[in-house]
Amino acid sequence: MTGRSELALQLRAVTVRFGERTALHEVDLDIPRGQFLALAGPNGSGKTTLLRAVLGFLTPDAGSLELFGDDVRSLNVGERARRVAWVPQEESPRDNVPLLDYVLYGRYAHLGRLQGESARDREAAIVALRQVGLEERARDGILSVSGGERQRAILARALVQDAPMILLDEPTSHLDIAHQIDFLTRVRELSRERAVTVVAALHDLNLAARYADRIVVLSRGRRVADGPPTTVLSEELLARVWGVVADLRRDPRTGTPYLLPHHLVAPAAPVPGAFLGKGPVHVVGGGGSGEPYLRALSEAGYRVTAGALHLLDSDLEAAESLGAITAVEVPFAPIGEEVRSRLRTLLDSATAIVVAPFPVGPSNLPNLEEIRRMLGRVPVLLVRRAPGVEWDFTGGQARALEEELRRGGAREVSGVDGALAALAAPAAAPPAPLAQ
Amino acid sequence: MRAPTDVPRRVAESAARHPWTLGLLLVILAVGVFFSPLLGTVSIAPATVLRILFHQVSGGALFADPCAGASVPASGCAGLIEIVWDARLSEIMLAVVVGAALGISGGTLQGVFRNPLADPFLLGISSGGTLGTAVVVVFRIGVGEQNLLLPLFAFVGAIGTGAVILVAARSRFGSVETLLLTGVALSSFLSAVLSLLLLYSPAGSLQVDFWLLGNLGALDWTQDGIAFGVVLVAGTLLATYGRELNLLQLGPDVAQSLGVDTRKVRVRLLLLASVATAAAVAFTGIIGFVGLVSPHVVRRIAGNDYRLVLPGAAVVGAGFLLAARDLSLAAFPGTLLPIGIFTSFAGAPFFAYLLFRRRGLSTMGTT
Repeated sequence: MTGRSELALQLRAVTVRFGERTALHEVDLDIPRGQFLALAGPNGSGKTTLLRAVLGFLTPDAGSLELFGDDVRSLNVGERARRVAWVPQEESPRDNVPLLDYVLYGRYAHLGRLQGESARDREAAIVALRQVGLEERARDGILSVSGGERQRAILARALVQDAPMILLDEPTSHLDIAHQIDFLTRVRELSRERAVTVVAALHDLNLAARYADRIVVLSRGRRVADGPPTTVLSEELLARVWGVVADLRRDPRTGTPYLLPHHLVAPAAPVPGAFLGKGPVHVVGGGGSGEPYLRALSEAGYRVTAGALHLLDSDLEAAESLGAITAVEVPFAPIGEEVRSRLRTLLDSATAIVVAPFPVGPSNLPNLEEIRRMLGRVPVLLVRRAPGVEWDFTGGQARALEEELRRGGAREVSGVDGALAALAAPAAAPPAPLAQ
Repeated sequence: MRAPTDVPRRVAESAARHPWTLGLLLVILAVGVFFSPLLGTVSIAPATVLRILFHQVSGGALFADPCAGASVPASGCAGLIEIVWDARLSEIMLAVVVGAALGISGGTLQGVFRNPLADPFLLGISSGGTLGTAVVVVFRIGVGEQNLLLPLFAFVGAIGTGAVILVAARSRFGSVETLLLTGVALSSFLSAVLSLLLLYSPAGSLQVDFWLLGNLGALDWTQDGIAFGVVLVAGTLLATYGRELNLLQLGPDVAQSLGVDTRKVRVRLLLLASVATAAAVAFTGIIGFVGLVSPHVVRRIAGNDYRLVLPGAAVVGAGFLLAARDLSLAAFPGTLLPIGIFTSFAGAPFFAYLLFRRRGLSTMGTT
């Protein structure tokens, strides 16, 4: 019945337009049989559009879409229903139909025009209700049960439909955390027991990472990331696609990545000369040099971010006591790529950068290197170093970098007061980037 | 673990609830049909009426002289037989057929539009039918043949209006909302055309008014037969779509994901409901509230499963119209009120009750 293809679903350059807006832009996607795939992406990124195209609710403007080896356009409604089942985000039934009948609706595509449901169909419905833990409630009305139970009944209906693929559109968005876990655990178990391919649009990336074999990220109708959760999820992706600054941690038991979101990335770097506001100011410091700046800025009403700093650094303690977001490396280690990417995110979201007079060694040299990128985008304030204090432990590299920053438009300020004054006054804006 | 076979038996009844209620309703209707000839505009002794019925049904074998002992009019016993059999019974059968058509069409449209206040005239079918009648009357088409031409033109007008809706339903803009709005717009448009026509023919407006009020009289077995045939075919086909209507209640997308070709089914249902309604309207004019009320009565008795609601609405609709006829004759013996007045008289309070007590009546539309 379901073709010879090893792929449950194959999309080739699928494009969907709604008037002027392109909802899906030449999306390619291969989904092998039996996979649990999570579709992620911000609102309006095309997740639901993709699901609706597979379900035949809309026809792509271009590209091809194959279900188990057959072009979807060649399938009629019944054939499609025998291949794909759907669990919508929310269903609003009008009549208080008993759960058993509600689940039996799933048999429709398997019944003849005038054929009634057989005892076998009814048994399949009971089994499905048992699998979702609703066997005892088979006679209760669909309007009488809770939202979580209703969603499970709909899942049971999809199971009874006996399709090799189930699409779920934000199935847990109306459920509390316990029911979210319960629901997705059941979906995963059932998909493994029955070797069913599952494609779920999920808003919650942590749930997606925990349950899916693979995450596909859509952004503005394009596939921008694809792979197992461990490789797909990153702070950089979250900043780029969702515009959110977050910490990426790993569940120490499972190794599953999880994200702790913090705040939105600043919408855009301010125009030179414009009022700076109190947006996040990033302080680069270390060895206690950053602490006075962090405290003074915070007191003056600025949100502050800090890093990259090493664990146990007194600047880090100060930053954390102020509730600042930080990029942190383990003690004494050189700043690694992951921390560096996080630093970049923090710098990208900053409205200004203050470079405290910190001692620079090979391990924290990347702090200066990363600032170069920011010149001309946001004001960079270099705090003048006290004369006669040795600070460059890199054999001249740090000195050269600072000189480069100065030439590139970084502004030198004296002490805490100088930094505050430069941030407050419109005149403190950086000079316009040099004409090329 | 529990043996799986216990459970289906325990819950099976929920899947097939109250099929017996349908049988009960049918029995009540049959009894109603049997005793309704007792009532009429002319007073005839009940015993005579029953004797005439048995005489006719048995093909003359029983009660060789059914009028024995009764006060026979000038036309003799044949005159009485004609009154009871040809006038009363054909009127009764028409009430049954038209009531059934309106009931099942109302149930269908309430299901298609997922709206408890939908009725068979929602799509402008009544306006189309009225216009068809008005054309015959105003332009004096086929004077003398109006017994045939009036229903024909009414049917064409009604089905023509339905066809416009069907074209809209087949298009890709055929959402339920579009169809409802098209029906409303079409109704007003046709009413405007009708008003314009009648403006030039004040005499015709009397006849059209009579049609608008709905009536069961002045028909014969031929017309009964035509109406019966059309309604039987359309109604039987409609009744097979109960499961699709059940699924459509979940919304067009969910229904489609379960395998219902939503658009195709919707077009078929609208077509069949239009044909049934048009057939009813053609012979009796507009009879309000039967189609609106009957499906709700069935839901209350037998639940929301459309596999029962559709045939049930047909039976209840038939009973409703028959009861309206009988009650109007019992209340005003000797006069034949336009039946539409009577159904509206009973239906309007029920309609108000629906609006204010919808929750108690049916779960439909309360979420």
